[in-house]
Amino acid sequence: MKNRLKVLRAERDWTQAQLADALNVSRQTINAIETGKFDPSLPLAFRAARLFGLRIEEIFHDEDRLDHATEINP
Amino acid sequence: MNQLSPPEGGYQSRIRASVIQLFRWCGAWAGSCALLAFGPKFLWNKALVFTLLAIGINVCVGIGTIVANKKYLEELDDLQRKVHLNSLAITVGVAMIVAVPYSVMDSYHVIPFHADVSHLVVLMCLTYGAANLYGTWRYR
Repeated sequence: MKNRLKVLRAERDWTQAQLADALNVSRQTINAIETGKFDPSLPLAFRAARLFGLRIEEIFHDEDRLDHATEINP
Repeated sequence: MNQLSPPEGGYQSRIRASVIQLFRWCGAWAGSCALLAFGPKFLWNKALVFTLLAIGINVCVGIGTIVANKKYLEELDDLQRKVHLNSLAITVGVAMIVAVPYSVMDSYHVIPFHADVSHLVVLMCLTYGAANLYGTWRYR
C-alpha cells in the first residue's frame, strides 16, 4: 500500500517524532509506514486521516486497485 | 509550521511505565524462583509448609508477571505488536522443534548431560531476544 504521509507531514513541517506523538505511536512506526515497510491498521489510518483533515483514501492508496484501474482505463 | 499538540499521556511515557511495571514483576518472579530453588535447602531446612508457601508465592507472582506482560503488549502500537508477535511465533516454533529431539537425545544418551528444562527456557529467551532485535532492525 502506498501513502502520502511523508508529503503531508513535510507540507506541515512536522517531524516524524511530532507526528508519532500526535498519532500515539512510536517514531519507528511512522518511519516504517512512510517507507512502505508496514501498513497501518484501520484505527491508525482513521487517526491519521482525522489529524490531516483528509479522507483515508486521500492518504493511503491500494496499489493493486490502482494497477487494476490502469488495466481497465489505460 | 502547524503546531501539533500531543495527547495527554503520550505513547512513549505509557510504554515506559509499562516496561518499568513489567521489569518489577520479572524481578519479583526471578526472586521468587530463587527463593523456591534455594530456600528449602538453605533457609528452612526443607520444611514442607515453607516450601509450599514458596511455591504459592512463585505461582502468584508468575500470574502477575503474565498479566503485566499482557498489559505491556496491549500498550504497544501496531508495528511494535507485530514485531513481538513475530518474535513469539519464532520462539514457540524453535522451542517445539528443539524440545522433542533434545528429549530423545537425553533418553538415548546421545548427549553426555541431563536435558534440563532450564536449557529450553534459556534457548527461548535467547531466541525471543534475537527475533525481537531482528524485527526492530527490519522496520528501523
